[in-house]
Amino acid sequence: MKQFGTILKFELKSYFKNKVFVGLTIALVALIAVLMFFPKIMTAFDSDDSETEAADTVAGMILVSTEGVENADMIEEAFAAAFSDYEVCFTEDELSVIEEKVINGDAECAIVMNGPTSYAYYVNNLSMYDGRTAVIDEVLQNLHQMSTMLSSGLSAEEAVAALNVQIEHETVSLGKNQAQNFLYTYIMIFALYMVILLYGQMVATNVATEKSSRAMELLITSAKPTSMMFGKVVASCLAGLIQLLLVFGSAILFYNVNKSYWEGNMMIASVFDMPLNLLIYMLIFFVLGFFIYAVLFGAIGSLASKVEDINTSSMPLILLFVAGFMVVMFSMTDGNVDSTLMRVCSYIPFTSPMAMFTRIAMSTVPFYEILISIVVLIASVLGVGVFSAKIYRVGVLLYGTTPKIGEVLKAMKKA
Amino acid sequence: MKLELKDIKKSFGEKEVLKGISFLAESGKAFGLLGRNGAGKTTSIRILMNVFGADSGEVFMDGKKIDYKKVKIGYLPEERGLYPKKKIIDQLVYFAELNGMKYKDAVKSIDYWLDRLGMMEHRNKRLDTLSKGNQQKIQLITALAHNPEIVILDEPFSGLDPVNAMLLKDVVKEEISKGKIVLFSSHQMNYIEEFCDKIAILNGGNIVLQGEITEIKRNYVRDKLIVRSQELDKIREYLGADCFMNEAGELVVQLKAAEEKQKVMKDLTEKYDIDEIKVFEPSLNDIFVEYAGEQN
Repeated sequence: MKQFGTILKFELKSYFKNKVFVGLTIALVALIAVLMFFPKIMTAFDSDDSETEAADTVAGMILVSTEGVENADMIEEAFAAAFSDYEVCFTEDELSVIEEKVINGDAECAIVMNGPTSYAYYVNNLSMYDGRTAVIDEVLQNLHQMSTMLSSGLSAEEAVAALNVQIEHETVSLGKNQAQNFLYTYIMIFALYMVILLYGQMVATNVATEKSSRAMELLITSAKPTSMMFGKVVASCLAGLIQLLLVFGSAILFYNVNKSYWEGNMMIASVFDMPLNLLIYMLIFFVLGFFIYAVLFGAIGSLASKVEDINTSSMPLILLFVAGFMVVMFSMTDGNVDSTLMRVCSYIPFTSPMAMFTRIAMSTVPFYEILISIVVLIASVLGVGVFSAKIYRVGVLLYGTTPKIGEVLKAMKKA
Repeated sequence: MKLELKDIKKSFGEKEVLKGISFLAESGKAFGLLGRNGAGKTTSIRILMNVFGADSGEVFMDGKKIDYKKVKIGYLPEERGLYPKKKIIDQLVYFAELNGMKYKDAVKSIDYWLDRLGMMEHRNKRLDTLSKGNQQKIQLITALAHNPEIVILDEPFSGLDPVNAMLLKDVVKEEISKGKIVLFSSHQMNYIEEFCDKIAILNGGNIVLQGEITEIKRNYVRDKLIVRSQELDKIREYLGADCFMNEAGELVVQLKAAEEKQKVMKDLTEKYDIDEIKVFEPSLNDIFVEYAGEQN
């Protein structure tokens, strides 16, 4: 136990002295700071020149050709209103001239009307996010509906009222609000994913480095392999938690400092409106999920003689983890977090930290299911821990080529 | 103190590495564990240090089963290596703490050893900034800092310059005189001969020879003669197949029995012009080659 403490202290200290670790943490906190202060910075910039700029800003020119179309006046008026950001120009040029202007950039785009409900949209490079045709469609649709109504005898006021009727609605969610919970679940799952992969690899590299530098020769004679392994894993878990705490803590701090600037942004507000019990579940699943992978990464590190070997030998484990992550992510974006696959995944120890947490956050899961999942996970962590420690005991003494699984199992029986 | 290994057997998979070895090392004396590469030295040391258990057999300390919680062991592994990127003092303290020392005592003891080995100026440097020989001295501190009862030195002299080898010799002699059990493993027989009173030669998982060096030498069958003469060719002709030339240009005469030596010596001195004739005294190197040479 004393050795475990010594190892834990030493490993933790080396994390805090590690320039990459410190640098990454500082960079993340700085990034969060920039993000959280963003609206404040923006308003500071805006307040100076907003008035002068607004008058001049014209995003570009839109050419409109309405030749031979009835109601041309109304169409022109409606376009000018719909594209108020742009300079809407009416032209009687030939099609080829219009095309020319679009190609050489004089005009952002061109709308050539063929009839009251038909047009051609000309643009040089069609952007992925180009939504102008949708706007044009709506404008023309409205115009058409208006003119139909007017011609069938309704007054203009009646027509406008009929077209712009406001429907009031209210949603009462009796379980979880997926839209609201989506973002923070996403952030949490992603954080879990990143931390496990990053720290898992660090644990494996750490062990392999000790082996390749032959510090292991001395270590195994001074400390028990189980103390060594768990000292490392617990140290990296603590380091990971501290890093997350710093990042999320600074996010909460900066959010509260800038709270007034974020008001009205539902999405961000929802992230910081996480219920406490979810945070506790997050912590439980984080620690257990971290452990089950970190001990396996430790075992993998012990089997490698060179640091380079880790990349190949940790591949199956990483694939397993990524597969679990994919299932969770697809289910989340589908909004179907209670599918059979997700239910199964929320009991399998290697996927349950992500799957069960997602289900808790985005759906209503009976408490006993959560309990079963956690118990299974704890049991597996212990089982995998003992198994990995055995591999570690054997692995640290093996040099040369990475041994085959059969050989390791045989040696483990002996040890 | 007496450290005794009794009938230790160990196999890895199909391979039987130790086939029942026993030896006894005493405090105040250095014990040499010899053997060719792969003879089972490191495995014996690891069993002795409880890195893994033996398949059968026991390790005893003063007649009782060894209690690893009480007996401290210092180890200088043959494969040297510590943390190259870490500060020297930090890792030395780490290893001393792992070996059961308190932080303050560890620092005190390490400072003593850094000073003793002339490494004080490197105390706060990173290990990989040091030369190989100096790194080795740092590693030696990990074996000695926690004041262990048993010191195991595996090839301690490899890679050291003569001055550092001298320093290490003094340190080892000090440790022996402090009444510690010192276990040596080396291929450099001159060092073994200098330090060790007792040796055991491992070959193919068995101890093929063990005992006091003087005793071993005395018991060595004295059935070879060394002859220096101007008339070696004639002598060779006379003796036929029983003799051969060694590297020093001397004639080695293999006798049929040790008792013959006086007769043959007399015979040769009477017949030929002999410069020198003596009974062959083996060096430890000769004994090692003879016993460890053939793989069984």
